[in-house]
Order: sequence, then structure tokens, then C-alpha cells
Amino acid sequence: MNIDGSMFGSLDIAISGLKAYGKQMEAISSNVANSRTTDAGDGQPYRRIEAIFKAQKGGIGGVEISELMEDMSDFEMILATPGDPRANADGYIAMPNVNMAVETASLMQASRAYQANAAILKRYQTMVKTSLELLQA
Amino acid sequence: MGIDTNMMNYLEASMRAESTRQRVIANNIANMNTPGFRRSDIDFQDALSKAIGSGEKVEKHEMEPDLFQPMATALKSNGNDVHLESEVGEMVKNSLRHKTFMMLLKKKYSQYKLAMGK
Repeated sequence: MNIDGSMFGSLDIAISGLKAYGKQMEAISSNVANSRTTDAGDGQPYRRIEAIFKAQKGGIGGVEISELMEDMSDFEMILATPGDPRANADGYIAMPNVNMAVETASLMQASRAYQANAAILKRYQTMVKTSLELLQA
Repeated sequence: MGIDTNMMNYLEASMRAESTRQRVIANNIANMNTPGFRRSDIDFQDALSKAIGSGEKVEKHEMEPDLFQPMATALKSNGNDVHLESEVGEMVKNSLRHKTFMMLLKKKYSQYKLAMGK
């Protein structure tokens, strides 16, 4: 019996899920933290980041974040307070394309998925323990 | 009888290796935020399969785990490659293995007991 190969397969998959959703949460918290950032370093407002999930291999396998893509949708233009140095000629400021409602929903999804993977990890442990109980008696 | 004691030696060595691995993982987790720290792991499989493959009586000290740095996981921004989730996974695997070996050892002892008529 190959303990690390086959026996712990689902355990490795659950861990990959934990890692991927943890990473997605990072992306979401970056979006939330930068929801009012008008300068992301290049003079442009912050662009929201979307974590892209990818299956680690065909068939049964884990998941990973293949890349963190920038959302290229338009920035939100808001009317500037008079005298705001960031305002353009028309008196508007470009704000990040982060939508709080979207981020909150994704955060909920990500944390639920994280919990689900943790639940699989736990359940798998009980399964192995059940098998080991067969040795008793 | 000879084979049996060998098996118990293997189990004992494996369990010792598991406890070493547990320490290594704890060290990895403790250094989770240490800049430049690379995670360590132990390789016991090699020593064990060599010992089993040789078919001779193997001394316990010949089945010692090797400590090494895999350098295989992705680096974080601080040059550190410890991921908490992976370490927790390793720890779970380790404890399951430990439990398995323990049960096997227990089984072995109960067989001896049975043979002794107790």
C-alpha cells in the first residue's frame, strides 16, 4: 500500500482547496482594502483582482489558482468635492472598479468553500480511523 | 520469530520517524513568517525500503530519517516557502500514519499475548 500516493489522495485534494480558497480570500481582501485607492502606483486607480481557479490535472485532482487577473472593466467616475486635486478637467475622479457587494458575496463563497474543504479533511480522518478500528478486537 | 521482531523494529523505527517529522513540521509552522526560511522535511521511505529489501536483521540506528529541504514549494514575498495549509495537511497525514503503526503494533502485542495463553 502506498500511503502517500493513493491513501492520502483526498487529503491532498482538500489541502489544495484550502490553499486555493485562502489565496482567493487574499485577492478579495486586497480588493476591499484598495476600494478607494486612486493611485495603484502607476497613477491609475486600483484595478480589482480576480483569482482564476484551475484544476491541477484532468480527472480526479486538486485545484490551484492559475493566475490573479486584473479586472479590465471601466473605472467608476465620481463627482469630486470642489478643490480635490485629483479631479480631472470635468471635475470627476476615477475610482477603482471594486464593487463592495460583489466582494462581500465572493468573500462569503470563498470562506464557505474553505470550510467545506476543512470539513472534508476532518471527515477523511474519521474514515481512516474507522478502517483502523478493524484492526482491533 | 525473527521476521516478527524485524517487523516490530520497522514499526518502532517508523513511529520514531513520525515523531521526528512532527517536530520538523512544528518547526516549519513556527518559522512561518521568518524571512528567507525554507521548509524542511524528512525522508524515511528510503531507509525503510532499503532495510526491508535487504532481508537481513537491521539495527535500529540504520533506519534513521534524513532531514532535507525540498525547495519545491512556491516562495512567498519574504522568501519563505511555508504554507500553513500544507503543513497542517502534512501533520494530519503524519498523525494518521502514526495511528496506523500504533494499531499494528498493538495487534502484534495482542497476538503474542494470545500465543502465551493470556
